[in-house]
Amino acid sequence: GESVKMGKMPEGEKTRQCKQEEQQQKDEQQEGLIEFYSSYQELFQFFCSNTTIHGAIRLVCSKKNKMKTAFWSVLFFLTFGLMYWQFGILYREYFSYPVNLNLNLNSDRLTFPAVTLCTLNPYRYSAIRKKLDELDQITHQTLLDLYDYNMSLARSDWSTLSMRKRSSRSLLHHVRRHPLRRQKRDNLVNLPENSPSVDKNDWKIGFVLCSENNKDCFHQAYSSGVDAVREWYSFHYINILAQMPDAKALDESDFENFIYACRFNEATCDKANYTHFHHPLYGNCYTFNDNSSSLWTSSLPGISNGLSLVVRTEQNDFIPLLSTVTGARVMVHDQNEPAFMDDGGFNVRPGIETSISMRKEMTVRLGGSYSDCTEDGSDVPVQNLYSSRYTEQVCIRSCFQLNMVERCGCAYYFYPLPAGAEYCDYTKHVAWGYCYYKLLAEFKADVLGCFHKCRKPCKMTQYQLSAGYSRWPSAVSEDWVFYMLSQQNKYNITSKRNGVAKVNIFFEEWNYKTNGESPAFTVVTLLSQLGNQWSLWFGSSVLSVMELAELILDFIAITFILALRWFRSRQQLSPPGPPPSSHDNTAFQDEVPGLSAPHRFTVEAVVTMLPSYNSLEPRGLSRDGEVG
Amino acid sequence: AAMAPGKKITARLKRTLPVKGPQAPTLSELMRWYCLNTNTHGCRRIVVSRGRLRRFLWILLTLSAVGLILWQCAELLMNYYSASVSVTVQFQKLPFPAVTICNINPYKYSSMKDYLSELDKETKKALETFYGFSEGKSKVRRSVDEWNSSGSDFFTQIPLLKFEDFSKTATDLRSGQKRKIEGSVFHKDSSIVNSGDSNDIIGFQLCDANNSSECALYTFSSGVNAIQEWYKLHYMNIMAQIPLETKEKLSYSADDLLLTCFFDGLSCDKRHFTRFHHPLHGNCYTFNSGESGTILSTSTGGSEYGLQVVLYIDEADYNPFLVTSTGAKIIVHDQDEYPFIEDIGTEIETAAATSIGMHFTRSRKLSKPYSDCTETGADIPVENLYNKSYSLQICLHSCFQKAMVDSCGCAQYAQPLPAGAEYCNYKKNPNWMYCYYRLHEKFVKEQLGCQQICKDACSFKEWALTTSIAQWPSAVSEDWMLRVLSWDKGQKINKKLNKTDLANLMVFYKDLNERFISENPANTLVILLSNFGGQLGLWMSCSVVCVIEIVEVFFIDSLSIVMRRQWQKAKKWWNGRKRDRSGKPPQAGDLERQGHDNPVCIDEDLPTFNTALRLPLPQDSPLPRTPPPNYSTLRLEAAFTEQLPDTLEVGQ
Repeated sequence: GESVKMGKMPEGEKTRQCKQEEQQQKDEQQEGLIEFYSSYQELFQFFCSNTTIHGAIRLVCSKKNKMKTAFWSVLFFLTFGLMYWQFGILYREYFSYPVNLNLNLNSDRLTFPAVTLCTLNPYRYSAIRKKLDELDQITHQTLLDLYDYNMSLARSDWSTLSMRKRSSRSLLHHVRRHPLRRQKRDNLVNLPENSPSVDKNDWKIGFVLCSENNKDCFHQAYSSGVDAVREWYSFHYINILAQMPDAKALDESDFENFIYACRFNEATCDKANYTHFHHPLYGNCYTFNDNSSSLWTSSLPGISNGLSLVVRTEQNDFIPLLSTVTGARVMVHDQNEPAFMDDGGFNVRPGIETSISMRKEMTVRLGGSYSDCTEDGSDVPVQNLYSSRYTEQVCIRSCFQLNMVERCGCAYYFYPLPAGAEYCDYTKHVAWGYCYYKLLAEFKADVLGCFHKCRKPCKMTQYQLSAGYSRWPSAVSEDWVFYMLSQQNKYNITSKRNGVAKVNIFFEEWNYKTNGESPAFTVVTLLSQLGNQWSLWFGSSVLSVMELAELILDFIAITFILALRWFRSRQQLSPPGPPPSSHDNTAFQDEVPGLSAPHRFTVEAVVTMLPSYNSLEPRGLSRDGEVG
Repeated sequence: AAMAPGKKITARLKRTLPVKGPQAPTLSELMRWYCLNTNTHGCRRIVVSRGRLRRFLWILLTLSAVGLILWQCAELLMNYYSASVSVTVQFQKLPFPAVTICNINPYKYSSMKDYLSELDKETKKALETFYGFSEGKSKVRRSVDEWNSSGSDFFTQIPLLKFEDFSKTATDLRSGQKRKIEGSVFHKDSSIVNSGDSNDIIGFQLCDANNSSECALYTFSSGVNAIQEWYKLHYMNIMAQIPLETKEKLSYSADDLLLTCFFDGLSCDKRHFTRFHHPLHGNCYTFNSGESGTILSTSTGGSEYGLQVVLYIDEADYNPFLVTSTGAKIIVHDQDEYPFIEDIGTEIETAAATSIGMHFTRSRKLSKPYSDCTETGADIPVENLYNKSYSLQICLHSCFQKAMVDSCGCAQYAQPLPAGAEYCNYKKNPNWMYCYYRLHEKFVKEQLGCQQICKDACSFKEWALTTSIAQWPSAVSEDWMLRVLSWDKGQKINKKLNKTDLANLMVFYKDLNERFISENPANTLVILLSNFGGQLGLWMSCSVVCVIEIVEVFFIDSLSIVMRRQWQKAKKWWNGRKRDRSGKPPQAGDLERQGHDNPVCIDEDLPTFNTALRLPLPQDSPLPRTPPPNYSTLRLEAAFTEQLPDTLEVGQ
């Protein structure tokens, strides 16, 4: 047939073809919905002459010249290989998900972070006060035994001593289960008490935690007696606290007795601006600016536009074993993040004005495949026990707590309680201490996989703090300042300067840095690069691929039609009947007449007569061959 | 015939470089011609494919490829202005920054007595009246009348008030109605935290002098804050009236402040310091300010090679009401940066050695169009009142000061004076305080537009400070050290120095690494173009030439065809009308001229090689064919004559 071939046709041919196309347009109505080629050769001929893939056209069309074909084949496959090599490189680059680091300096209004202030003065609940007093007594006795130090327990209620002995033998019993003792550095020998004559360098102090059946014991040893006593004391303290009923009803939240003055941005702080919680070690904690309804914003940097507090820093601990520091603890954190005071606190010295300047820095990572971070923690396999937003610390602590409940059967007191669990307490869980310290060791070695499971959040806000100190109040203003405080806040002047401290927290800069990431290699650039390579080596496009796809589909269709035709002819041959004619052939009737007529024959042929196709076909083909 | 040379040239030009019209006479033919001849993929298939469905699919594919190209290229364009950051750390000899040191107390209290005696008296009286505090331990409550008579006009105009309840009157001289004005009452009564035992609230109110019902009420939950704020307010008024030279004399001299100085292992003295008068902090001294032309640099990091000074903080000479803390304030800044010491200064404690380690970071951002920052601040419509290089802080403060001068008629005390303005004091501007507080409120709420006008600076230097404190002097060295230092200072002070009057300060580079963060364009024009090329190639194997081709065919050629159609129609209509009117047949000559006059027709209608090709062949076809239609023969002629087809048509 005279399939269209525009490449390098003689002019006459081209003209005729144009003519033919005109005709074809007129015959649009006659054109079938979809038309197929009648033979493979025709199909390939059409493809070869109309394809837009460079090289391929040469490959097929120069079939007369073997040498040329071979040459073009080699060239074709070479370029093919080169292109795919390049593609491989591009894909590898894309799937390594490279990122660009972006540095943004934002200067919009700064939302003031939440500020948590703790008294460093654990408050004693009245419900368990008696037991704590008892613990103090035992500690006193222990200190006397081990170090020959007679602690004055002035404030402790000695009159209840006899009553204590009656009421709570259990505590003594439990404390006795885990006594503080000294041991030789190498071999763990129980010492007879009262032997201070031994060279102290050879001794370690600690306590032993045993499993339930006392088979396996864990020696928690410390080189320093101070650490040992503190750790031992807080271990018992936790146990006593855990026995408390769940409702941690506070008798008083003595905000006025702790914070004497509070100003933010030259305005007095509202009562609504703070929330209160109690930390067993850090005492009463007040978080300012934590409620999301009305957050403070700093209009300008500088001390006068920040938070300024006057706090009381007097100690009234019964036995100062839980906290050995005086002052207050400040922590700056983001809203809706729990304040982990032991992680990021800042101690405030009494008698000193501490000015803490902040610089805000935000880090935004690209999630997904770009980096291993999580948007909101929902895809982290650890249940969030805190009621706050996901942070890495929240996750790690939740992870530890969940493991604790699973392994030890009870929950660690300092972390939130998972549903259905209860806090550890050695009246109920005898060996929890042993279990806890074992678990802690495993946790630190990341056997539990907590550090592995917990991913960094994609969006992080950090506050870089730096502090300056000055003496407050100054010698000349001391008088009137203390007088005012005593008038307004019932501050007893006895301890003077050591009883108060001033804290200023403010932004140092009006703007904050955002470290962002953006994908360095996007789909768009990948496609562009692929297109570049493709064009470079083949000069082909996606549409060329579609052409190839069409070729393959056509190939399959023709195979199917031919097979059907052959099958039909076989069927009709076997019973003696009329010889099969092309007109009778269903396949031909369906497909061929509509399609081939305008294509394979010149218009003239259609107009003049309709010869039987088969007779004309070879002629058309031979003509094509000549042209090629 | 003698032709003008110009005409000759144009004729030759026309002959040698003939301007041809579109490739086909009709739009559909033009499209067909384009599709068959273009190098762009897809289009050809639309024409050569057989079957309507196939054709439709190819049209769909081609159009979607075009759409994809447009979309992806738009993405590329949108992401063109992105920047990537590079961080370089280099080790080099770093220039030492300027270090500005101020005493927290601005002026010597003893020499300020003349100016402040009245104010102090008032303050003491207020303390006595409200809190029963008196220095002489004689808590005698004086009568209110006595106060009234002794105080100056201005103190009574803005007195401290004690409110028992907001609804009731204040217990003071004034007992007018306190109308709460929305937005100007800073402290709502319902939410006072620190009320103590009584519900006393201390504050003051600022009223509009012209309209006394317009008042802003300032209340403080803590008496300490109330007294200090009130004191400061009046203090600023008094200070505004004192000329600068006097103030400089009233403040500390370099000899007063600096006891010893050591830099980079060598001794230094007050000549290395430049005086800088700060309105709120008095005389400050800048080390290495660069004013002498040389900027010092350190050869090695570490505290030994930095700046070491011992400051004399005369605590006894402090103003008891203005400042309540003792110490000094320092700020580390660049030589041409203004030290905003009141905002971001670091405080230094007395009787302690403060070590400040510095870590230097330099950042540089790309300016427009990558980000909205300014290189020099010259493009910001705010006059820089500080004679230092631009920064966001400077811009904001200048903007506020300008607004202040515009609306209140005088300048705020804490910021530099614009040309032709003077500082506010209530002798001259009795209304300024109310005006100021209203304006400041507006500023905070971003209603002045300062925050919108002012932009970040593109490059900035930053010294990250790490502070650590040790007790100084130590118990064993205290004796001899204080004796030696007081002997050094001996000429002026005869008493022995107290250790709470001294502060030791060390400022040094922790390391000599400079961290340089700079932004670089992530895309260049070359990359953008090659990405464009990639997209065009990927979807349609198109190139710039293809794009030009498309423009030519789809816009120029198509347009000319359409225009010609319209022209022909119009001409036909015109002729028809003319014929109808005159009743005589139109003359060919007329039309011809018309056609030639038509600028569209002249060049466009020349038959081209391609249109010629479209014409039927001479009758040499071996196959029998139907006789060609009539018009073909005519068009064959037209192809070789120079006549316009339309004129021919009509001429027939």
